[in-house]
Amino acid sequence: MIHLMRRRAGIYAAFAGMVPKVFLAYSMWFWVGLVLNTIAMTILVFFWQAVYSNTTSIAGLDLNQTLTYILLAQIFAPLIEINMIFEFGYNLREGGIAHALLRPMDFQSGMYAQHMMQTFTALLLQIPMALVAWLVFGLRFPHDIQAWAVFVISALLGRTILFFFDWILACLTFYTTEVWGLGVLVYGLSLFFSGSLVPLAMVPGWLQTLALATPFAQALYVPLSFLTGITPLSQAPTVLAVQVAMLIAFGVCSRLFFRVAVRKVTVQGG
Amino acid sequence: MAVIETENLTKVYRTTRKDPGLRGAVKALYHPQFVNKLAVDRINLQIEAGEVVGYIGVNGAGKSTTIKMLTGILLPTGGKVRVLGRDPHRQRVDNARQIGVVFGQRTQMWWDLALIESLNLIARIYEVEPARYKQLLDQFSETLELDELLRLPIRNMSLGQKMRAELAAALIHEPQIVYLDEPTIGLDLIVKERIREFIRQQNREKGTTVILTTHDLGDIEELCQRVVIIDNGRLIYDGPIATIKDRFGKFRVITFETCNPLTGAINLPEGAEVVTNGHGPEDHKLALRFDRTQTSASKVAHAVMDQVEVVDFSLSEPGLASIVKQIYNGALREEFAE
Repeated sequence: MIHLMRRRAGIYAAFAGMVPKVFLAYSMWFWVGLVLNTIAMTILVFFWQAVYSNTTSIAGLDLNQTLTYILLAQIFAPLIEINMIFEFGYNLREGGIAHALLRPMDFQSGMYAQHMMQTFTALLLQIPMALVAWLVFGLRFPHDIQAWAVFVISALLGRTILFFFDWILACLTFYTTEVWGLGVLVYGLSLFFSGSLVPLAMVPGWLQTLALATPFAQALYVPLSFLTGITPLSQAPTVLAVQVAMLIAFGVCSRLFFRVAVRKVTVQGG
Repeated sequence: MAVIETENLTKVYRTTRKDPGLRGAVKALYHPQFVNKLAVDRINLQIEAGEVVGYIGVNGAGKSTTIKMLTGILLPTGGKVRVLGRDPHRQRVDNARQIGVVFGQRTQMWWDLALIESLNLIARIYEVEPARYKQLLDQFSETLELDELLRLPIRNMSLGQKMRAELAAALIHEPQIVYLDEPTIGLDLIVKERIREFIRQQNREKGTTVILTTHDLGDIEELCQRVVIIDNGRLIYDGPIATIKDRFGKFRVITFETCNPLTGAINLPEGAEVVTNGHGPEDHKLALRFDRTQTSASKVAHAVMDQVEVVDFSLSEPGLASIVKQIYNGALREEFAE
């Protein structure tokens, strides 16, 4: 049994291992991404400095705390990068879904392995940006090991919840085959509800509750709030338990959605 | 033993019908009209292990849809399908282990990576023993001339190179059944021949069952013992190529080159008629068509040679292409309707 599981895990690992190779096939992606992300980060720093010019604290956060949060949110932005709606849509339109379904492996597990590797690779490629944040904007990385440990666990759980949520939305493309509108809408919502532009501690209570219920916040704001001290570590067990419950719920729903949606597959173009 | 069995296999697609123009698009938002398209209509098939079956029909006849149901990608709307004793849709992963598929217009490989990277991963996914993989890779490299391609990204390959790579990827795990959906589309003669030889070799040496859909009847003639013809989703012929040739290929053409220019009429035996009676630059040429169920080539030749002096003559039988053209034009459809 253990041997079989190890063998299967090896297959999925090999499958995921293609991701960095594909990433690195186009080195230009890396450089363009680095420049654009650095520009976006600079704009956000100036924006928040302007916001704090007439005040010392917003929702209990001073400028340094907010800047630390925003810089870290930009560095860890790959945690909320989702593209399955576009990926499914493209594969359905171009017929690539046929080959994807023909691999002798669980389709969702294969995609999960690939997406986690994509996130990990993208995070590694953010190291130069982290250096810019440290050298240019004076970002001080937290040095509490416990906070980092909770952050990693929470980020893993949150990223997985977001994967399942993205999967459910992507299943809709089996019915619609139109993806652009849905994809753009979800991207817009992810920017706000994940807390990548504004710390969710600053938004009104009801909106914060709503945002925290979304997978976007679970993937970025919740883990980052431990790292930046917004959420005390004493609350970690409760928060992580909620994340586990959300993961199970979204995981089960995503399997059910796919089981029904895959019956609707049509392979375009003969 | 039948490795593929279908019973009344049916697929209906439901599509929306929009009236043209902006008005039609807006109307479709509020009152979408759905149309059912019967793509595959109650097909019954039994394919034995080791057979090479040509599955042909005009564009839109339902060939690819059938293949996709057999591979487990599409769920049939009705009927039954068993591949190696399994329901290919419900047992998609188990079924996938035993089959190989080439879709002529799509790739299963990683577009941006070298071929060897894709092959290595495919071998890993299908759990091919490393020693066996190395052996197969060497064999395939030789037969399909892959050596120079192994380090080349798929996106940089020509169509012919890509198809050779696809075949290697589809067969590297030694599947029991291979579905080849238009594998020679757009390829030159040399590449076609190499691919045909490779398929023949896999079938001969490993007993691989091959289901081949193609518009290239050369593929069918060179590879298949059996042909299945589908029209408007319905199976209209299933049997040996020889039978269909006998049935629709009863006319032969015999062409004579005469010593002197042809002038007068020639008396011919019953069942023969003139196709070309030389005029102008071809006034030494006489082409006759005869029904071989009514007369024979020797009788026609004798009749002509008794009346004119012949320098040379040749006999040609209709190719599969012209027979299939007749069938696509409705020859079998009419019989089927009766």
